[in-house]
Amino acid sequence: MARARIWAGMVALGMTAGLAGAQPPTGWLHVRVEESGAKAAKVSVNLPLSVVEVALKAAPETLESKGRIKLGSDKHEMSLDDARRIWAELRKAGDVDFVTVDQGDEHVSVARKGDLVLVHVNKAGQKAEEVVVEVPVDLVDAMLSGTGEQINLQAMLTQLQKRRGDIVRVKGDDANVRIWIDEQN
Amino acid sequence: MMMKIAAAVMAVPVAAVATIGATGVVVVDVREGGPQGHHIVVPMPLLAARAAAAFVPEDKARLHLDSEAARHLPLAREVVEALAQAADCELVRVEQDGEQVVIRKQGQMLAVHVRNKDEEVRVNVPLEMVLQVLPGPDGRLSPSAAVAALGSARFTDLVEVKSADGDRVKITVW
Repeated sequence: MARARIWAGMVALGMTAGLAGAQPPTGWLHVRVEESGAKAAKVSVNLPLSVVEVALKAAPETLESKGRIKLGSDKHEMSLDDARRIWAELRKAGDVDFVTVDQGDEHVSVARKGDLVLVHVNKAGQKAEEVVVEVPVDLVDAMLSGTGEQINLQAMLTQLQKRRGDIVRVKGDDANVRIWIDEQN
Repeated sequence: MMMKIAAAVMAVPVAAVATIGATGVVVVDVREGGPQGHHIVVPMPLLAARAAAAFVPEDKARLHLDSEAARHLPLAREVVEALAQAADCELVRVEQDGEQVVIRKQGQMLAVHVRNKDEEVRVNVPLEMVLQVLPGPDGRLSPSAAVAALGSARFTDLVEVKSADGDRVKITVW
């Protein structure tokens, strides 16, 4: 009886170790801000995705509130129902330029290229700026996969854990910003 | 008979020293710069600090948080707990105009290092202490719990401040 318990314990231990070994490496979210100029600041933030996950789970209202997705500021919102409907149509279209806007010195394009939705803002002139945002298609799918007035945060975080590479790059005349995920802490 | 009395007399200070040693001591070490600078060392048993903290009046241990700040307290608590589980890393680095701020997670500590041309400050905060210092939903702090959390930072330089003119303040938990 005692021997059977010891064997059961060893098997359980082996299975636990096997599961632990099979876990994917932890992802890290990195933010770099490099200002230009005489008193330029360099800011570097590195956070384990587990911490980002906790923060987003605990405060989902940073992304959505009462069924409306926040797009940059409180003045720019879209209902989740509209977002789901538009995304379903866009997704079917495959690789295509969704939106192209040329206004004065500013050029904005939103396009799908393979597994990514690329948002590209290019501003010429004195305060030239280039913003590149790369959002994986799977991440948008996951975010909008829920129903009702809530984004599917859990599915979104699962996709974010898989993501490696740049998410946002901003090249401005006064600062460069880069946000990316990798496995380096 | 004399031996018994001597043993009894010795037992009291030995027991006191052993208790203080076992429960921890905070040592504040202040050294002024220059050849005539003073050197002051103040040891404070954690047990005494904890007892003193227990007498902090209720109204002084209560923060008046606005609703927005209070709403984010559980989030702050969860983030600190998640951070405690994470691997050691450099969390934040800011460099500007000869000034540098670095925040690292080292074991169960947050190590903050601030350096500029005049001063250098090192602070090691136990994550357990951060959790204890965060007020509850009613805005109430627990000073004695915060002091007790110092017990998790034993044999650590909690704070070290060095100035360009040679002044130095060091707070160590033994």
